Amino acid sequence: MIRFEKVTKNYPGPGKPALDQVTVDIDKGEFVYLVGQSGSGKSTALRLVLRELRPTSGRVYVAGKEINRMAGWKVPRLRRQVGTVFQDFRLLPNKTVTENVAFALQVIGKSRREINKVVPETLEVVGLKDKATRMPDELSGGEQQRVAIARAFVNRPMILIADEPTGNLDPQTSVGIMNLLEEINQRGTTVVMATHDHGLVDQFRKRVVELDHGRVVRDEAAGSYGFQH
Amino acid sequence: MQLRYVFTELRSGLRRNLSMHLAVVLTLFVSLTLAGCGLLLQRQADKTAETLGNELQILVNLCVADDPSESPNCSAGEVTKPQLQEIERALNDSPEVDSFEFQTKEEGYEKAKEIYSPEVFEGSDPVITVDDWPAQYWVTLKDPKEADGVISAVSGLDGVSGIKDQREALSQIFGIMTALKYGSWVGAGFLLFAALLLVANTIRLAAMARRREIGIMRLVGASTLYIALPFLLEALVTAAIGVGLTAGALAAFMHWGIGGLEGTIQFLPWIDWTDYVESLIGLVPPGIALIGPALTLIPTLLLTRKYIKV
Repeated sequence: MIRFEKVTKNYPGPGKPALDQVTVDIDKGEFVYLVGQSGSGKSTALRLVLRELRPTSGRVYVAGKEINRMAGWKVPRLRRQVGTVFQDFRLLPNKTVTENVAFALQVIGKSRREINKVVPETLEVVGLKDKATRMPDELSGGEQQRVAIARAFVNRPMILIADEPTGNLDPQTSVGIMNLLEEINQRGTTVVMATHDHGLVDQFRKRVVELDHGRVVRDEAAGSYGFQH
Repeated sequence: MQLRYVFTELRSGLRRNLSMHLAVVLTLFVSLTLAGCGLLLQRQADKTAETLGNELQILVNLCVADDPSESPNCSAGEVTKPQLQEIERALNDSPEVDSFEFQTKEEGYEKAKEIYSPEVFEGSDPVITVDDWPAQYWVTLKDPKEADGVISAVSGLDGVSGIKDQREALSQIFGIMTALKYGSWVGAGFLLFAALLLVANTIRLAAMARRREIGIMRLVGASTLYIALPFLLEALVTAAIGVGLTAGALAAFMHWGIGGLEGTIQFLPWIDWTDYVESLIGLVPPGIALIGPALTLIPTLLLTRKYIKV
């Protein structure tokens, strides 16, 4: 589903590459943690999957397509297959929960009928059916992240990318978010989650890919967060 | 494509940046009005030159039957072919002549209709008939100050009833028109530049105000066109208002300005409403209705590519 082939990414200016000859293969339906210290290249790797960045060398494949050679006008279509969740939720403060989720479908041209059907279903999946008309500032952090996940999942993407989704949440709420991501994963969506959260990685055992200074130093099925940290 | 979002955004975008949009509209309005005046003056100059010749030209009037000039050159009545050949030879031989064209009496008569009031051409015994109008040579000089040689060479020839030399009067008229035209264009140029900068600023502000939405739209895979559409429509709306105001101002100029001049200065052929429409929607040179949207859409396209790059 996602394949990095000897991917190197240099940012302009001096310094070591953000990613250095990274080769990783993630299959359909997998749940993968991307761990490592700040600056180890986790976010760079995620941004490469979204084609927000292009590799300096090497190839990135998403859903069988080499995306670094993809024409610019095809990029939106790629992103429709990849849902994204961030640490800071990125909700629109002037829209209700429903409107925030519906927004993702409106702007890619889905019909109103489809939106009216899919948005409530998705809110039910993330457990926010009762709060559909609330504004984001009336929700707790965990609930806001659920809205963000609903927005990322509403178009039923093949891949869900989560960049530190629990970074702003307390441990108990984080477990709730993990349960939700796991449920989405069980529905067939491949999940790639960059995280610093030892507790979660150790509690929900999944494949762990550890980056250090842009290199893959560990790739372990059902791994722990790691003993170096 | 769901356009509801686009129109909601358009409305809120116009409201949010109202003062900026007003600034763009007003600057566009004034600059386009100046540009439009320049276009109309250009047409006025062309029309004048077409009917009366330009400041580089002298007109050689040829004899008509019963020539009113009573010139001895016209004793043979209407100018004849051999006489014409003689005159053309003299024109060809003159070093002062750059080129010349023959205008038949019918062509001259049609042009006269544009200047004189219609009554003089009507009725059973009209004041002016085709046969009253002399055929002419329109002679373009190499140097507007040097015509003595050609005038003396031609004026004595048979078949020439007289020389119409309006260089001085016309050069003043053209001088004024040219000065006004370039004045308008320079003023328009500065203001159009200001309009461009304002448009650029407006887009930057709007993109800043909407950066969160734009970020999300990019992430969820909205197409670039869809993201840019509210910006483009905003640009189009401001341009349309600017062009509309300009059309009104130029119509007022035509009605009161040209209309008033027509009454006082009758020997000039004045531009009419066809020229007005051409200045608005003409293609070459581009009319106001093209310049306006181009001025707002081109920077919008360039800047949205920069600010909302997918």
